Amino acid sequence: MAQVPEQNDWVLALAPGCDADLLVRSTAEGYLFSRIDGATPWRLLREIGGIPAEQVDACLERWLDDGALDVVGGRATTSGASSGADAEADAPSVDAAETPSNAPVAIDESALDDRLDIGLDVQRRILEYEASLGRSYHVLLGVQPGASPKDVKKAYFKLSKEFHPDRYFRKEIGPYGDRLDRIFKKVLEAHEILSDPELCQVENQLAAAPFEEAPAVDAATVPESAATESEESAERTKPAKPRPLTKLERLKQRMPFKIDHASLHARRQRADEIFRASQASQQAGRLHEAEASIRIAITFDPARAEFKEALGSLKIAATGARAANLLAKPSERMSDSELFEALRLIEEVLPYRPHDPELNERAGRICLRLEKYDAAREYIETLLIRQPESASAHTMLGRIHKALGDLDAAVRAFETALKFDEDDSEARRSLAAMQIGARDGARGGSTS
Amino acid sequence: MSRVIGIDLGTTNSCVSVVENGQSTVIPNSGGYKTTPSMFGISQDGKRLVGHLAKRQAITNARNTIFAAKRLIGRRFDDPEVEKSIELCPYEIVRGPNDDPRIKIGGKTFTCPEISGIILREMKRVAEEYLSETVQEAVITVPAYFNDTQRQCTKDAGKIAGLEVLRIINEPTAAALSYGMNRQGDERIAVYDLGGGTFDISILEMSDGVIEVLATSGNTFLGGEDFDRRIVQHLIKWFEKTEGMDLRGDTMALQRLKDASEKAKCDLSMRDVVEINLPFIASDAEGPRHLNYELTREKLESLVHDVVEGTLKSVEQCCVDAGLQAQEIDQVVLVGGQTRMPLVQKRVTEYFGKRTHKGVNPDEVVGLGAAVQAAALLDSDNDMLLLDVTPLSLGIGTYGGHFARLIERNTTVPVSKGHIFTTTRDDQSAVKIRVLQGESDMAAENDLLGEFVLSGIRPAPKGEPEIEVSFDIDANGIVSVSARDLSTGTEQSITVSSTGTLSDAEIDEIIEEHDRYEVQLKD
Repeated sequence: MAQVPEQNDWVLALAPGCDADLLVRSTAEGYLFSRIDGATPWRLLREIGGIPAEQVDACLERWLDDGALDVVGGRATTSGASSGADAEADAPSVDAAETPSNAPVAIDESALDDRLDIGLDVQRRILEYEASLGRSYHVLLGVQPGASPKDVKKAYFKLSKEFHPDRYFRKEIGPYGDRLDRIFKKVLEAHEILSDPELCQVENQLAAAPFEEAPAVDAATVPESAATESEESAERTKPAKPRPLTKLERLKQRMPFKIDHASLHARRQRADEIFRASQASQQAGRLHEAEASIRIAITFDPARAEFKEALGSLKIAATGARAANLLAKPSERMSDSELFEALRLIEEVLPYRPHDPELNERAGRICLRLEKYDAAREYIETLLIRQPESASAHTMLGRIHKALGDLDAAVRAFETALKFDEDDSEARRSLAAMQIGARDGARGGSTS
Repeated sequence: MSRVIGIDLGTTNSCVSVVENGQSTVIPNSGGYKTTPSMFGISQDGKRLVGHLAKRQAITNARNTIFAAKRLIGRRFDDPEVEKSIELCPYEIVRGPNDDPRIKIGGKTFTCPEISGIILREMKRVAEEYLSETVQEAVITVPAYFNDTQRQCTKDAGKIAGLEVLRIINEPTAAALSYGMNRQGDERIAVYDLGGGTFDISILEMSDGVIEVLATSGNTFLGGEDFDRRIVQHLIKWFEKTEGMDLRGDTMALQRLKDASEKAKCDLSMRDVVEINLPFIASDAEGPRHLNYELTREKLESLVHDVVEGTLKSVEQCCVDAGLQAQEIDQVVLVGGQTRMPLVQKRVTEYFGKRTHKGVNPDEVVGLGAAVQAAALLDSDNDMLLLDVTPLSLGIGTYGGHFARLIERNTTVPVSKGHIFTTTRDDQSAVKIRVLQGESDMAAENDLLGEFVLSGIRPAPKGEPEIEVSFDIDANGIVSVSARDLSTGTEQSITVSSTGTLSDAEIDEIIEEHDRYEVQLKD
């Protein structure tokens, strides 16, 4: 990855809620991760990161893309480096967002309608509030940065009483219905962010940043003196990014259970206890009870793969001897109804072990016998992810392509199969047959 | 404008209320009772009986008297819960054409929404008699854990009863509304609702008339009837041991045991020991046999101890979900007749470390809350606002059979949320968006609400296209889902319409049939 000079001065901090377990792929990366402290600039990280500079860049960029890092300093010059058109488009919205809360907002008086079941002063208030929805969450809720959770909740309740659509249930309010809907959703969002301690902290930092920093200026056109000045101000302050929260929100959605570590720990302990109870039930042969317990364990700790594995094994165990018999019988000797039943059993189990090669292979074979070629292809392709060198899988894929009429792909598949296993007689035979067919076809074409 | 009533459609009893002059009142039926049994029967001479009339003849006519139909509503015939009911109920449960359970009594087959509809119609009649005016609209309560189908079926039941259902709200939420009416200040409330058939626990926050649900949890398989059943089973075993006779196959004996057990259970809330006396419970070649057993409170508590502990597990999860410690709860409201049991009160008090609230009647508080919500919606003098929540998580099915949650359960509505997904195969040109509802991480175990295909995705290596999926729920709980390819702007969307177990045509047919029956009665 090429060095990006303007990143040199970026100062990075870990985004709230980001989890080293998910991000770090090696011990070297772990060391680099540990050096990100919200104070050390990017160029220093290159020197002290313990791995080659290009790898440091690649790694930091990846984490930035994942939303795990926030740029908390030094970014002013780079936002200026974005295109002029972008800067122009951004500027008005940033302006609006930072208008002081008490400044009047211009509203469209023609939207007022005295025929509605809603007073004109209330209409005016709704229009004004709607016009200011671009403002920061603090301004929206009318609370100071650093307000206590109690104050945030009070403000949220007060605004709910004003704007919740239920307040105008069955009233003739025309376009104000949609407006209330939009307003309430935004109020809800503001409350959600500001009542979450970690997200709230980020919002507080943003609120503390001065306004003049965000409007972007094309770096190329700025005189040198001005450029250094803006760089200095960047050192002092934290950038008021207009859209960091979407990233944080995404991150939060990805890791919904990694917010409160104390309660997470408690949940995990409960999950372990219940899981042990489930194992005890399983040993005692009470499979349904074991299954119920394990499902509870999964709700307490949905991230644990071993629980899901165990649930999968239980499901297999619970389907019992019938399944075992069916699955042991070669698919070539099954009747159609047996094939359908076997497929149903496999499909029941597969969601718990989506990549199990054996299950996928069986499902593929059965679908092939049942002439469900598209499904068969999907199973075999999944199998090939795990076992790319399986000649028999490639042969099967060839048969599927042939049945679907994609002869070129079929030939390629058979050739691949022969590459991994020269003795695969079916692939050899099919390939020969297809070459003869192609020759005949060509000859037929030339004579007619 | 005619008034709007609130109905608590319970598993064992139902209750109707109205708000008058800023006060919520329970409406007594013509017999003077404030609750009406949720029972429906057909007598030997073909008459249809509802409520107390149905209950009175239940023992002699067990095969033709329906109770606890709420346990079946909105379920599929193959659900374990239905299986359990088939095993235990004296009436016949059959498979309907839509794979729904139906009940056959008096030679006629009834759907579950129809039976709930009959009970709702009775509650409507009770209200109309009391108010001396017709009633056309209602707010109805359901357990917090009812899924979409069960809620829709309850709405259909309202339609069959001739009621427009303004809202379906959760029972614990209703209890909190009733508790919170005319109350100022900030409080955190836990509602512990152990009714006849279900257990719900909710934690809510209230401030100056606004009520917000923080978390709910519960168990649809657990309720007061499980307590009765434990006693019945104990009595059957005891009788088998002492008399050597198995009462399990005798529906009349079972119904008598059930009634006696319920009564003994209630009596033991006030006394330490009761005598269960059932003469002529069975007979054989040697003559009639009588059942005479002394049940102590201690014995009862040992029979049901694990059921009560089971409810506390749900309470624990609810506290975790709400992000609160048990001690941070300001007020504990008990709902449902089963919470009269001293053991339940003792364990709940111990758990929260504070006395439970005594100001409300556990049988009436839910119905009252439904009326409060009706008033909050329509009465401009009423200043209450319920920030209602979506009961189950919503999301889509993703690669590998997993479920990606976009809206977590208990999210306040109206709400919109979006998330970006991508393709799993190179040059994939279309994605199928399967809209699911439920709490499992496996897509296959959640309910499919609808599906659509977004096609025309520009060919690209897998993982590259960005497809934004957005969910939107409006204030009436209607869900719409859209998917947009961010690079091309192509968009597809659906509005998910809830469906019950009956089609509109079937509902209309039932309404017609009932009208015909009413006309017959008048003739």
